[in-house]
Amino acid sequence: MLQEASRASTALESIKHPDLSKFLVIAAILFIIGVAGVLTRRNLLVIFMSIELILNAANLNFIAFSRYLQDTGHGDPMSGLNFINPDRFVAAAEAAIGLGIVIALYRNRETIWIDEIDLMKW
Amino acid sequence: MILSGWESVFFWVFSIAAILAGLLTVMARNAVHSALFLISSLVSVAALFILLGAEFIAGVQILVYVGGVMVLFLFVIMLVNVGAEEEGRAPIFNKPAQVTAALVFLAMLAGVLVIYAIPRGYSALAERDKAALQQANAKRVDDQSSLSAGATGVSRLTKETERVGTALYTYASLPFEIASVLLLVAIIGSVMLARTLKQEVAADDVDPEVLSEMKQS
Repeated sequence: MLQEASRASTALESIKHPDLSKFLVIAAILFIIGVAGVLTRRNLLVIFMSIELILNAANLNFIAFSRYLQDTGHGDPMSGLNFINPDRFVAAAEAAIGLGIVIALYRNRETIWIDEIDLMKW
Repeated sequence: MILSGWESVFFWVFSIAAILAGLLTVMARNAVHSALFLISSLVSVAALFILLGAEFIAGVQILVYVGGVMVLFLFVIMLVNVGAEEEGRAPIFNKPAQVTAALVFLAMLAGVLVIYAIPRGYSALAERDKAALQQANAKRVDDQSSLSAGATGVSRLTKETERVGTALYTYASLPFEIASVLLLVAIIGSVMLARTLKQEVAADDVDPEVLSEMKQS
């Protein structure tokens, strides 16, 4: 019973003082939500939004580890912050190209439902 | 990096907000609602960045994602007619069997990550860096208690932006330049993709065969 009480108090302690692992868990959950959106939705635009969610979860991981390295001094704390920029640019480029494709597709096929775009389906 | 006091309250508020908004992004019937929920999720994640001491990144997050990318998304949603979903006839998800398979797989992945991999990996990491972490926490507590009542830690606020800027102009400049080329490719590519046939004819670079077919019809 003493052990249980101490376990409960450490759980409460970890809720009161969130550390790196909590940020990683939040990022993992956001990532899973994004993957679920990509796998299950039919609307091409919502799939793109889910991809933004995935990239954002990766960004959160980069920043959390950057901060951890800054505190502990193992490794370069700036590497995480510098990874964010290419990631952002990739997200912006992906959105621009992807939405260009969506517009071209809508002009030719009059649909953005991915189950109706099955020309290359095997 | 252990948060304490009001920081942890804000951490839980913003992380729960981010997850709820993310879930609603995926589940909303209307694509416009999806976009708005995605905006609130991105803003919550920006708040988490501020809690992690990355103010510049948080500002860029709001400027680029919320101000740029999401406006682009809303623009395309308005341009493309998504009325079918609002009528409630068409299901918003794929076929039930596929959805179930995907969700089961993802639940397993989430379970392994959240329950097993992250806590175990982090406890090993924290064990290795125990001394450094304790030192950093003591320093943090010292810093906070030495601030006067009205101070907000502005000296800590400005440093991160300065360091990101310095890094971008020194050893991170090559990836930065590569990213600018990538953005140029994206600009040209999206303009090429989104042109209408009429605009292509006006620019005089349509395949002759396509042009002759057009003239016949």
